[in-house]
Amino acid sequence: MSDTSTPPATGTGVASPCIDVCRINADSGYCEGCYRTVMEIACWTRYTDEQKRGVLDLLPERRQGA
Amino acid sequence: MRVLARGWLSSNNILLADAGSATLIDSGYLAHVPQTLALVAHALADTGASTLTRLVNTHCHSDHMGGNAALQRRYGCHTSVPAGEAPLIERWDEDALLLTYADQRAERFRIDATLAAGDRLHMGGIDWVALAAPGHDMHALMFHAPNERILISGDALWEDGFGVLFPQLFGREGTFADTRRTLDAIAGLDLNIVIPGHGDPFTSVDAALERAYSRLHAFEEDPGRLARHAARVMVTFSLLERQRLPIASLPNYVEDTGILRDLNRRYFAMQPQQFADWLLHELERTRAVKRDGGDLVPLVAA
Repeated sequence: MSDTSTPPATGTGVASPCIDVCRINADSGYCEGCYRTVMEIACWTRYTDEQKRGVLDLLPERRQGA
Repeated sequence: MRVLARGWLSSNNILLADAGSATLIDSGYLAHVPQTLALVAHALADTGASTLTRLVNTHCHSDHMGGNAALQRRYGCHTSVPAGEAPLIERWDEDALLLTYADQRAERFRIDATLAAGDRLHMGGIDWVALAAPGHDMHALMFHAPNERILISGDALWEDGFGVLFPQLFGREGTFADTRRTLDAIAGLDLNIVIPGHGDPFTSVDAALERAYSRLHAFEEDPGRLARHAARVMVTFSLLERQRLPIASLPNYVEDTGILRDLNRRYFAMQPQQFADWLLHELERTRAVKRDGGDLVPLVAA
């Protein structure tokens, strides 16, 4: 965690949706915190920004359990 | 190489696989073991490795070693820790390892070997050398691949900051100098990319170093600043694991949690209620937490 009194780094890409829950739901296959699959989490650092945004776009629907 | 980017409660895990072996660097936090095992299994399959042959820790804080025992059970992997950490692990010192002392948890594991600065390792088809990285942890190591210009930095350097300088807080006089030397060592390397213990791998190494030097200087200038930062970080970390903490329990919590009690005695000298109030104000001000009914819950880490 940053010491927030100093200026933050400038934006360098798409932020990870991880919120440190890190528990895969056996039924849905999604993490109960960020709603990504194991593959999406494992491959995250290899995704382009566009691919990351593509995953982020899928998350709201997964959160609603659609 | 596969970088498994985690969060703050778990460190990143780096898998280095080649024809002969597969090595994992750092194993995340205990509470996340099932997800760590799933991610490692995925990465092993992805790289065509049949098993995890070796496990290495940059340093032995809970967020970096929590999956060690589980990985050993599943894979029987040969496990190495920095030499300076070995005595603490062997006697499982819950205080010195910042476990019970800091309201954190880890599972005891077996050490097969130790690593020291200067040691050479072949991992993922790449030649690495271990570098000393004292500061956040006196015995921490980084791993440098000179040909590929990669640095696995642990908590010595993140894109925006570095790990809490615990040794300084516990009275080790040379900690700021150690930290500066570690940053200088990184600055002296020809690097294409840094893979930190937390956060995404990054290539703007000069900018990250500039921010790190700036933070270090700010800590050096104001002795209380590091203590205030540490108190916030410790509570935020605990909150990431607990997911919620009743606000009413904070005064007892800061007295019962050794590191907070000791920080208070040494740097703040507040009554527990006062210290709890101060922490609450600070955590809200820095947007680390929010209130949910009578509870504190973590806000998404920045």
